[in-house]
Amino acid sequence: MQLLNGGAEAIPPAAAPREAILEVEGITKRFGANVVLKGASLAFRAGEIHAICGENGAGKSTLVKLLTGVYRPDAGGVRIDGIWRDIRHPLEAQALGVALVSQELSLAPALSIEDNIWLGNREVPLFHRRRHLREAARRTLDQLGMERVALATPVSRLSIGQRQLVEIARMLTRHARVLILDEPTATLSDSEIERIFAALRRLRAEGKSILYITHRLGEVFELCDRVSVLRNGEVIATRRTAEIDRAALMAMMLGRRLSDMYPQWETREGDILLRVRGLRVHGAVEDFALDAARGKVVCLAGQVGSGAVETLRALAGLVPGASGKVSVAGRPLKLRSVQRAQARGVQFISEDRAGEAIFLRLRVGENLIATRLAQLSRFGLLRGGAMRRAARTLAETVGVDPARLRSRAGELSGGNQQKVAFGRVVEAGEARVLLMNEPTRGVDVGARADIYRLIRRFCEAGHAVVIASSDLEEVLGMADEIVTLYRGRRIGFYRRGEADQQRLLADITHPAAA
Amino acid sequence: MTAAIETERPPWRRRWLNGNARRRAVTAIRLFAFAALAIWSIATPGFVSPLSLSALMTAISFIGCVAVGMTFITLTGNIMSLSLGVTLSAAALVFLSSLALGIVGACIVAVLFGVAVSGVQGIVIGYFRANPILVSIAALALITGISELVTGGQRVYPTAANFAFFKSRIAGIPVTTLIFLGAVALGELILSGTRFGRAMRMVGSNWRAAEAAGLNAATVVTGAYLLAGAFSAVSGILLAARYGSGDMELGAGYDYSAIAAVLVGGTAIQGGEGSVLRTLIGVSVIAAVEVVLLLRGFPEELQYLVTGIIVLLVIMLHTIGGRE
Amino acid sequence: MKRLIEPTLRPFTIFAGTIVVLALIDRGTGYFFSLATAFSVMQLFATLSLVALGLGLSMLIREFDLSVAGVVGLSGCIAVLTGADHPWFGLLCGLAAGIASGALQGFIMTRLQLSSVGVTLGGLLTMQGITYVLTGNRSIAYGNLPVALGLNAPIASILSVRSAVALAVFFAAAAVMAWTHLGRDVVATGSDRRAAMVAGVKTDRVVIGVFTASGAFAALAGVLLSYSLGAASPAALSDVLAPAAAAAIIGGVSVVGGRGHPLGIAAGVLTLSLLRSGLSAIGVSPHVHEIVTGAILLGIGILEGPDLARRVIAWRLNRTQLESLP
Repeated sequence: MQLLNGGAEAIPPAAAPREAILEVEGITKRFGANVVLKGASLAFRAGEIHAICGENGAGKSTLVKLLTGVYRPDAGGVRIDGIWRDIRHPLEAQALGVALVSQELSLAPALSIEDNIWLGNREVPLFHRRRHLREAARRTLDQLGMERVALATPVSRLSIGQRQLVEIARMLTRHARVLILDEPTATLSDSEIERIFAALRRLRAEGKSILYITHRLGEVFELCDRVSVLRNGEVIATRRTAEIDRAALMAMMLGRRLSDMYPQWETREGDILLRVRGLRVHGAVEDFALDAARGKVVCLAGQVGSGAVETLRALAGLVPGASGKVSVAGRPLKLRSVQRAQARGVQFISEDRAGEAIFLRLRVGENLIATRLAQLSRFGLLRGGAMRRAARTLAETVGVDPARLRSRAGELSGGNQQKVAFGRVVEAGEARVLLMNEPTRGVDVGARADIYRLIRRFCEAGHAVVIASSDLEEVLGMADEIVTLYRGRRIGFYRRGEADQQRLLADITHPAAA
Repeated sequence: MTAAIETERPPWRRRWLNGNARRRAVTAIRLFAFAALAIWSIATPGFVSPLSLSALMTAISFIGCVAVGMTFITLTGNIMSLSLGVTLSAAALVFLSSLALGIVGACIVAVLFGVAVSGVQGIVIGYFRANPILVSIAALALITGISELVTGGQRVYPTAANFAFFKSRIAGIPVTTLIFLGAVALGELILSGTRFGRAMRMVGSNWRAAEAAGLNAATVVTGAYLLAGAFSAVSGILLAARYGSGDMELGAGYDYSAIAAVLVGGTAIQGGEGSVLRTLIGVSVIAAVEVVLLLRGFPEELQYLVTGIIVLLVIMLHTIGGRE
Repeated sequence: MKRLIEPTLRPFTIFAGTIVVLALIDRGTGYFFSLATAFSVMQLFATLSLVALGLGLSMLIREFDLSVAGVVGLSGCIAVLTGADHPWFGLLCGLAAGIASGALQGFIMTRLQLSSVGVTLGGLLTMQGITYVLTGNRSIAYGNLPVALGLNAPIASILSVRSAVALAVFFAAAAVMAWTHLGRDVVATGSDRRAAMVAGVKTDRVVIGVFTASGAFAALAGVLLSYSLGAASPAALSDVLAPAAAAAIIGGVSVVGGRGHPLGIAAGVLTLSLLRSGLSAIGVSPHVHEIVTGAILLGIGILEGPDLARRVIAWRLNRTQLESLP
């Protein structure tokens, strides 16, 4: 496992300050009435690995998009080598030496490593098989520790960690001096993480500046020289990692009162409706166990890559490679089939709303009744009146304006779409289990409160709800029971009131021996 | 705390015109074009005469049945099928060869044939998610090859022949047209009035969401292809009765005409949106344009060209207007 | 052994296999293995290969050029009409038509972000229409007999000017794909268009370029064919789409893009041409050829279906796993 103390290599004393290659000063960014970044100021120096930490929504990804030209700041600006720059496009940023390696890699799987490295590079001549280019690619790969990988290997054969290194190699050949890595280790195995770390340390020794965006605090202390904490769009502090410890870091990241967005309720006891033992999804979840009781909300708390989302998808029957022992209301449930799950009363709302939950081109009314066509038809023929009534009832139940029933679902806001998805699974009748992944992702503040209320009401009707969320405040605000996950394993279990944000954060970011 | 909704699009991807305004503009253009066409048709001397209307309706019927079948395929997100034309021809041959069972019996056999041939494609496309255009091309070759082998390339003549029914009129309307309208009614009923039709819409709109909602997308797709085969076979029967004999050339070009009618009618080529009634409009528009051109003395060859341009314009218009 | 079935080498394996099978059927009677058969194979190759190349390239970038058949017909007619006295001029006009159609369609596709199927369908119908209008729905004879004969005269017993031109185009295409970064950009665009765009590839230009090339190749095929037949007919090549698609697929082009190579396509075309010539030389009914083509297409379609793997995995899991009450 990973070390806790600060870094395996000695950092030179701070007496001689390094040059700042990239600086951000007073950056503010607004979306409508929402201020996402407020007057953020940061400096990224050569030969340093600088971590950026913060919870969901703290402003990390907005900052990255501002640095790479996807967004333009409303106030303040970016300075490179001391000169103010107006970056309008990621390729412009690259030309200035600022390169992003995001979680969504931009490699072409069918091409070789060498081709991918030089793909889209303006400096490559028409006849691109030049020896000097091949040697440069080879050197870069060696620099990153991939000495034993052949340049001609198709990228489709590489592991994710290796692909990340290829993407970094591409950036290096574009003379990147500042490398921004966005949650690079979310999907990597331990050995691949070590490999990436080794590569990054080498780059640091060569004078590159590395921005390391992460929520894994252990990695911050193992790899990074400096760490900045973002909270609610503001830079709370920047410290050298040698000078603080994990507790202090977490304290900086938190510090919010629980808002009253969450409904009040009394926890009741109920019998176990959903029982899971030994759930396994290859590469994502390992030996997971869970009990969900009637009338209770269980929250699976975990960050991206923790396996929380995959667990619920597997229970919903969407994962063909899932295995484990699951029973609903005492009867066993076979996985890998959505219809079997639904027949047993297990309903699922996906985290990928547009891709998997909502029919964007169909009308809102059609979306609402999508799963109950069986009841609304006789001998296969749909009953128009019954459908309209059902759609209106559902719309009223979840708080969607009935006037919008005939609009296309794609026109609704994220919050309203989520309500529609909810309305589809809401049902009076026998006890059901509702599984929700990231219930308020992409949902504005106003709708969030509505959705929380809906969840609670659903629960009170005698159903069981299991939510997977990476938003700790949401978890604390909604859960009767909390299960924390890290890297596919169940870490801790807490009843309502037994844990605070600090405890949860510790579990899901690096459950060390402490 | 909250995940901010980041709605600002990167500068280089901004689109011109707001969504709602664009959609209204497109609808206006569509209505205008339709009205213009109607006026132009009625103003054409000879258009509103029993003879030309009857010719119009007959022309619509044959292609129309296939177009109805094609609608199901396009609606479920499978773009189009290039094998409906040969399915039509082969079904016609089957019909002509089975007349020993009586007309009704031969019809049933022919329709079953169409259903089977198309259903196999549906299974392959639905269960293995094979590329629909490719599978239809494969079926095109297989059906053509096997049929030509069996018939030896000869024209097939009916064993017994009394097609007077098909050539008659009821209340002044040709029977073929009535059958076509019946097909349209049936198709629309299935699409808009049944669970299965709704399921087809959902699968076409978002395959993954349909599966997540508990539908068996593979079965739905297979069903759509079964229907397409049935309707194509009906068209084959009508054509065989009309001409009194048949060979594999009977349905040549019908695939393109059918998909053109589907698209001109307004069904989206990505699937999920459309209806059989829209296809009826599409077929009518294309046929009306052709008849008007003919009546006004334009050479027959111009039809293809005009149809092609209309298809292009409609697709462009529809996509511009339909983007959210 | 498994490497021979891998998509990059598969077309050549299939080609070799076809030769072997035909040789076995032939059993040394010499009906098949003769120079005459080789010549007819290459003649078929001459026309089909260029169309397959264009179609294959469009499939490489995850699109589908339905209009190739229309271009073949239209360019042939234009060439015949304009090139009676000056065959080169006719060739240029025909080529220009093909290039214009491809570029225009590509432009519409990228500008309006439309799928290629709809646009090329409209293009196909339009071009067929223009062909009908130009020819007045009749066959038009091409008066320049020396050119017609010259194009088909055997060179070294196996080739002709037409097939030599086709081979030259293929080698040029293969060279461009291998030695210039255009080939790499095309594969990247087909493999993952978003990733290619982010990496800096001008994917719009790639799309327009591919469709322009497809139009040019189809036009070349159409012009040469019409010249050599001595006539242009509006209904001539409506059924070139199926063999071209089959040849491309057999040649290793993946329908979902990102995989394919001109030489593979050439092998696929040769295989199909072999089947056609070979089978008829042996005396098998020509319709069997269609059946075989269709069967191969269907088979490969199933094999490449993305859900094949998923269903096999699920089936295996269901068989080996027993889930009992916890």
